[in-house]
Amino acid sequence: MSRRNWLLAAFVLIAAAQLAAPAWMIFSRERTLHAGKVFKFRTRPIDPVDAFRGHYVWLNLEPNEIKVADSYVWHGGQKAFAVLDIDTNGFAIVKRLEHAMPADEPAVAVETGWAYKGKMHIQWSGLDRYYMAEEKAPAAERAYREHSRATNHTCHVTVRVNGPQAALEELFIENQPVREWLRQHK
Amino acid sequence: MMRKEVQWLYRELPQLEAQGVLTSGTVARLQAYYGPAEAARPRWLAVVIFGVLGALLIGAGIILLLGHNWDLLTRPTRAVLSFLPLLLAQGLSGWVLIRRQQSLAWREGAAALQFLMIGAGISLVAQTYNISGDLPRFLLTWAILGLPLAYLLDAVVPALLYLWGITEWACHLRITDDCNAGYWLLALLLLPLLARWLRAGRYQVRPTLLFWFLCVSLTVAAGTTIERVLPGLWIILYSGLFALLFLAGEFWFREADGFWNRPLRHFGAGGGLVLTFLLTFEWPWKEIGWYCWHWERFHGEWWRVMPDAVLGSMVPIAAIVLLVTTVRRRASLGLLLGIAPILAALGFSLATFEFSFVAAWIFDIYLLVTSIWLLVTGIRSGRQGQMNVGLLALMALLVARFFDCDLSFLLRGLLFIALGIAFLVANLVMLRRKGANHEQA
Repeated sequence: MSRRNWLLAAFVLIAAAQLAAPAWMIFSRERTLHAGKVFKFRTRPIDPVDAFRGHYVWLNLEPNEIKVADSYVWHGGQKAFAVLDIDTNGFAIVKRLEHAMPADEPAVAVETGWAYKGKMHIQWSGLDRYYMAEEKAPAAERAYREHSRATNHTCHVTVRVNGPQAALEELFIENQPVREWLRQHK
Repeated sequence: MMRKEVQWLYRELPQLEAQGVLTSGTVARLQAYYGPAEAARPRWLAVVIFGVLGALLIGAGIILLLGHNWDLLTRPTRAVLSFLPLLLAQGLSGWVLIRRQQSLAWREGAAALQFLMIGAGISLVAQTYNISGDLPRFLLTWAILGLPLAYLLDAVVPALLYLWGITEWACHLRITDDCNAGYWLLALLLLPLLARWLRAGRYQVRPTLLFWFLCVSLTVAAGTTIERVLPGLWIILYSGLFALLFLAGEFWFREADGFWNRPLRHFGAGGGLVLTFLLTFEWPWKEIGWYCWHWERFHGEWWRVMPDAVLGSMVPIAAIVLLVTTVRRRASLGLLLGIAPILAALGFSLATFEFSFVAAWIFDIYLLVTSIWLLVTGIRSGRQGQMNVGLLALMALLVARFFDCDLSFLLRGLLFIALGIAFLVANLVMLRRKGANHEQA
């Protein structure tokens, strides 16, 4: 094979690898969204601008503070797994924190924060952005802030959990998908 | 003789021959002796620059357009569309490889566009699926997927973008206190490319550009990958790194002319002088050394010790090996700037035993000697740039020390006026001398 053909063959291989990275992301997310168990999380959105990825609503999932019996074994900035359960209102709660992914219970990767008197702060770092159209994200944020003053905790997101993978599915305001809610509250 | 001088000589030759100063035989012998003069600045450089700029602008435009996140499109449609910019860029690069492989402008432009579109593809999928993800992993994936483009298309822009990517990656991992020593292995992946370009011509634009970026990247990475366990090690490492860069530039890239064509020499010298100035203060020498080990940082993780041990020893040792060669060659500037890692190690040892003020004094004297040497030799050899660097270093030292002292505003004011006059007079004298030389010539 000539040098030029080698070069072209190598280029095709590299091009395939470059396409494989986003393709794998799509495949794993689609699988989670189709086969994952649904959890509802209460949330408070705020809206920053990410120049790189367009506009999004920045979510702050709850609970972000949980009781732990062994707070001394954790330190800040550690990766942990929040084992999930559902409360009587149908919202997600954290049963306990684990260092490794439990085999037979749904869990989501989180990052630990400060620990104080048996309580630990956690960040749902993989589930903190809900992307929206450029003009709608600020509108959603504005509407939310006005709305949340009158009522409390009327926002939630649905998250699909499948093994170690968690995928954000939809943002709801007053039990309506955010786009639908915005259409009605223009 | 340097490229500029040869070009000047070749411009003069026809006139000298016409005036009868040189015979046609002498002209031919001169041309045979010096060989062909390289083109001053090839016109293709402008085409390459505009080609790359155009590609980067188009790439940024596509990212922004798709980043708009059209609500009308369904999730699967957006997912498929995310591939489109990358596929288009790959098609363009493939076409360039088949049809325009000889054109550097096409190769650089296509490679730059494709590099950007890899990041765009991953980002757009992340947006479609609300993946906030982890930025260091994104940067590393992007950089590694983009690096082969530098080799396949023989282009410098992907190599520079790769360097930016791995440097950012190392910085982000430092913030989260994770292992980023892999930066050094990732940077090594550029070596075969650099070697290939150096073999083709060590003073060409591409290796020079890569050297400038490498200098910046290595400087940033050195700071982010060390000192997990031994406080103050940065002093020895950075003095070694700048000395190494300077001496390497002085030895292996001596023939280049102009500031921009000697990245290692000038970056090393500039970095070394700034560092020396900082080390004349006492604060860098406080609470450093063996008695301040961060035992608690071990946590049984071997990688926290490795960068400190390997970089903190290898870089200064390499600089000292080059310094020994400098002593043999009797290159006084190399000796002066190359001695910094030895002084830093001495200062570090003194500071460990709480003699931090002695360490600062050593560097006071070192900067004073260096600046006066630069000033005097600059004046003697008629190098205005060197003279001004020496003058600036001297002024910085004097101003810093006078601010440390409790002097009245009157004295400080007089000092500033004196320094300003010295600066102006030195430059005027130098300009006048150059003018006189020119007239005599």
